Amino acid sequence: MFDHLPTKRRNILRALVAGALTAFVAPFAYAIGKFLSFQGTIGGSNTAKLSAADLTPDSPSKLVEIEGEPVIVVREADNSIRAFTATCTHLGCIVSYRPQMPGFYCKCHGGKYDVNGINVPGTRPPSPLTELVVNEQADDLTVSLTPKAKSLS
Amino acid sequence: MTLIDHLHLREPVEALKAKVVPRHGTSMWYYLGGLALFFFLVQIVTGLLLLFYYQPTPEAAHKSVEWITTKVPFGAVIRSVHSWSSNALIAVVLIHMFSTFFMRSYRSPRAILWVTGIILFVLILGFGFTGYLLPWDLTAYFATRIGTEVPKAVPVFGSWIVSMLRGSNAVTGATLSRLFALHVGVLPLFAFVFVTAHVIMTALFGSAIPIGRSAKAETRFIPQYILGEAVLWLIGLAVLLAVAVLFPWQLGPAYDLTKPVEPPAGVHPEWYFMFLYQTLKYIPEWAAVTFYTIVLIFWAVVPWLDRKARREQKSLLFRWIGILAIAGMAGLTTLAYISVAQEQGTAALEQTTTAHGSTDTTQPK
Repeated sequence: MFDHLPTKRRNILRALVAGALTAFVAPFAYAIGKFLSFQGTIGGSNTAKLSAADLTPDSPSKLVEIEGEPVIVVREADNSIRAFTATCTHLGCIVSYRPQMPGFYCKCHGGKYDVNGINVPGTRPPSPLTELVVNEQADDLTVSLTPKAKSLS
Repeated sequence: MTLIDHLHLREPVEALKAKVVPRHGTSMWYYLGGLALFFFLVQIVTGLLLLFYYQPTPEAAHKSVEWITTKVPFGAVIRSVHSWSSNALIAVVLIHMFSTFFMRSYRSPRAILWVTGIILFVLILGFGFTGYLLPWDLTAYFATRIGTEVPKAVPVFGSWIVSMLRGSNAVTGATLSRLFALHVGVLPLFAFVFVTAHVIMTALFGSAIPIGRSAKAETRFIPQYILGEAVLWLIGLAVLLAVAVLFPWQLGPAYDLTKPVEPPAGVHPEWYFMFLYQTLKYIPEWAAVTFYTIVLIFWAVVPWLDRKARREQKSLLFRWIGILAIAGMAGLTTLAYISVAQEQGTAALEQTTTAHGSTDTTQPK
């Protein structure tokens, strides 16, 4: 467009045009970036409710969903009820509870965790499952995505 | 060798550089086609963005739109721009169509260009109709109930068209899926093809000089014309953003299929369908459908009917046909708005009388 001008003026004008275009596009790019990078699900519940009676010695575990995340609630051998994130830390499969192991097992790549959700060395998972807070009101259990503080070990 | 040469685009680029646009007393109308293209591009961009969050089911549709406008950053602006821009697009296309008509720009060799324009006009109205249901609010639901009922009057194929549109006997989730598919899949595909054809033909044939005028001068397409168009686009963008932010597009209450309710008082379609809405009050549906189909076909073949224009003569008859078309649409639209206002007035009156008449009337929400 500025071919008829001397090189120096041409370069200055081109830089100005480029700068103006960038300044024009930047806010739109910012808004679109913000819009697209939003995270969240519509109407997702941030707690899961279930009954302790559902966890029997025959089926001691149950998968529930909290904000799209699978969570496994188990009645362990000592009768304590605990909840863990069910997402395998290896490649994101969903783990299952195996009382005979005892612990958690991932069918996808044979990953193992002990009853405390700690990954068994020698299997693929690089880190433990996160234990979550379970609120027990008589028979009613409420699980949220709040990690349980690591006091026991 | 530059990239252009590698792509064998030297010839078209040189042709575009050499392209000129005639300048005369009414050449400002040329810019409207470009402005329509701008609003069309805005619709593509904002539409694609909304598609990332919108959920086309009767349970989730309204919630997801609410979610977009209340939770997602810039979602309210993007949705508002999409709605306002659709109206702007239809308005600009209408003006573009009539200015082209009165300038007789449809005459040879641009007859097919005119036909692609008419097809685009119909497609854009289709976008308006199919998009209207998607937020699944009260007015959208009733407008779609009525709108999908009208084709029933089409001879022979009527009920087939209705069932194709609805996917079930009534307006349900199946209808939402279908109109959504049309809105984001089928119509964009056709619109893309015809917009491309329309723009390429305009580039090839150039702008028509109105009968009886001669070009006083020529505007170089690159850069003068393009810059002029860019100024118009920027004004369009500024106005669009201002209107979208200051007057956010409203979202009515959700419609729950399991709990049927009465339509709100004075329920009516968008302004661009108001002439049709009013026509249906005067004549039976089959007559309206037949009449407008004939009008549309007539409108599309005008380039072949206006023989005078082909001989570079102004036809008084076609000027009056154009004026009649505008007057008819404007008149019917005005009458439609008057009747809607009256209906809302009566409803408001009824509500106050019932409120006074009985004590147990619950407060309107």
